[in-house]
Amino acid sequence: MGFPEYLAARESLVLYGQPVLTYILLVSLLQFLVSVLYLWKKNDTYYGNLIKLLYISTALYIVGFLFLIKFHVQVYNTVLIEYPVFLRQMIPVETSRFAIPLWIENEKLYFWTMATSVFVLIMQRRKDIVAFLGVILAVFSTIVYFFSNPFIDPLPRAHSEITGWYATLAAGDPAIYQAAGSLFGRITYYYNSTYMWTHPPMLFIAYASLIITAAACVYMLIRQDRIYDEIAYRYAKIGYILLTTGMLIGYPWAIEAWKDSAWWWDPKISGSIMMWVLYSAYLHARIYVNRNKMWNTTAYLGIICFLSLVFTYLLTYIVPGIHSVVQP
Amino acid sequence: MKLQGLKYDYYLIILTTFILFAIGIVCLYAITYYNYLAVDPQWTRTGQYMDFINSMDSYLYPFLILLLVTLGLCIPKRLLDRDILVKFCALALGVTLILTFSSGIEAALGFLLVVMIGIQSYVLILVFRRSKAVRFEKEGYVVRLGSTLLHLGIVIVIFNFVNLREAQFHIPVFWIGTLLITAGNIFSFYPARISSLFHTK
Repeated sequence: MGFPEYLAARESLVLYGQPVLTYILLVSLLQFLVSVLYLWKKNDTYYGNLIKLLYISTALYIVGFLFLIKFHVQVYNTVLIEYPVFLRQMIPVETSRFAIPLWIENEKLYFWTMATSVFVLIMQRRKDIVAFLGVILAVFSTIVYFFSNPFIDPLPRAHSEITGWYATLAAGDPAIYQAAGSLFGRITYYYNSTYMWTHPPMLFIAYASLIITAAACVYMLIRQDRIYDEIAYRYAKIGYILLTTGMLIGYPWAIEAWKDSAWWWDPKISGSIMMWVLYSAYLHARIYVNRNKMWNTTAYLGIICFLSLVFTYLLTYIVPGIHSVVQP
Repeated sequence: MKLQGLKYDYYLIILTTFILFAIGIVCLYAITYYNYLAVDPQWTRTGQYMDFINSMDSYLYPFLILLLVTLGLCIPKRLLDRDILVKFCALALGVTLILTFSSGIEAALGFLLVVMIGIQSYVLILVFRRSKAVRFEKEGYVVRLGSTLLHLGIVIVIFNFVNLREAQFHIPVFWIGTLLITAGNIFSFYPARISSLFHTK
């Protein structure tokens, strides 16, 4: 087992995964159409079809996710980093394997969308909110397909690190010590870190739950019916618990992994704190939801919170910083 | 009287919401300012980065102080009458202001946080003992416990960030705060389920 097997596994993921995502896109486009038709005509036949399409797209997401799991296991089994003897005196291990989590690089949005699909299927059935979320999910699936496709070029950054390592190894390059050293740091503090396996998924599941809160807040403003506030609150509770704990878990990780880096007041961290205080404000305001049309304020707050969530997610791609993929 | 009490709590909630919102705006400003400074890719290696951190801290801390004062007005209301409470908060704020000018805002914030930790811990003990001296808006042992744990966890975590960043026990204290916040959230949001889990009424 080695580099050729790794490359074969990667090709296999492209071969089997890409068609699954294409089907997801097609089903999502239909889902978009049926959702809009239901919102417009309020015909239960459209709603019945929408639910079927939601089941199909969620099942396809799960199938694609299983392919991703298989690929990640294959990466673990095929890629073995054996550190040079000189380096072994300075680090606690002789070899490393990549235990890559399933929510990094172009897999992030896929994971978030899949989690949202599952939430939509298990949520209390309010037809209008489900249809509204059907539209949102279709938009998400389209973005996944065109801008964050995990199957077309699987894990590009990890791939360049793996191929770079094997190229250096084959060339007998003296730079191997430097390459091995930086790879050790990357594997230990990023890919294989326990925090990487807990911090991001908690946040993405929280985001999935908070999408439902936002949708319910929109309907709260349109319909002015208390039931929507209750739905918003129900999912805000789940989201807030995961968001708070997930964010906090990131702190000791940052201290461990970025001890020599500039991360205090990093834009992504500032954005996350902003999002958290806004959700705290929402939950605080909601205590008096029945007074002086407070529900109106909380509904607006819920929508502002969600906009801050999307903004925080996008910060990785638009503002430089330690969390970012953007170079100044 | 009841209506007045309700009004008081209502305005306190509104005030807390505004303060939280203001902290959000400070964070938004931090993002914009960081982006502006990052035109020079090496700026975090210069003294400019330390200046940035210090100035952002100085914008955040006054709002944290305000937040703690509103917490101070919110939490001991479970122990004290409103008149005593307002006097107590005015005193705490006065000492905080004196400390801000004499020893700096970090020390002042530290003082306020220690006071809050003391009060929250006392409330927690009373809640554990099911004391009638402590009054809550919401009924139910688990909700009360959750609310107290959550507030105690938050003040511990903020104190840890502001004043214990260099301390040896920084991380253990952080985990204690995190545990309290998580438990507090779960207890506050799902009291019925927690009660049925422990058969507590």
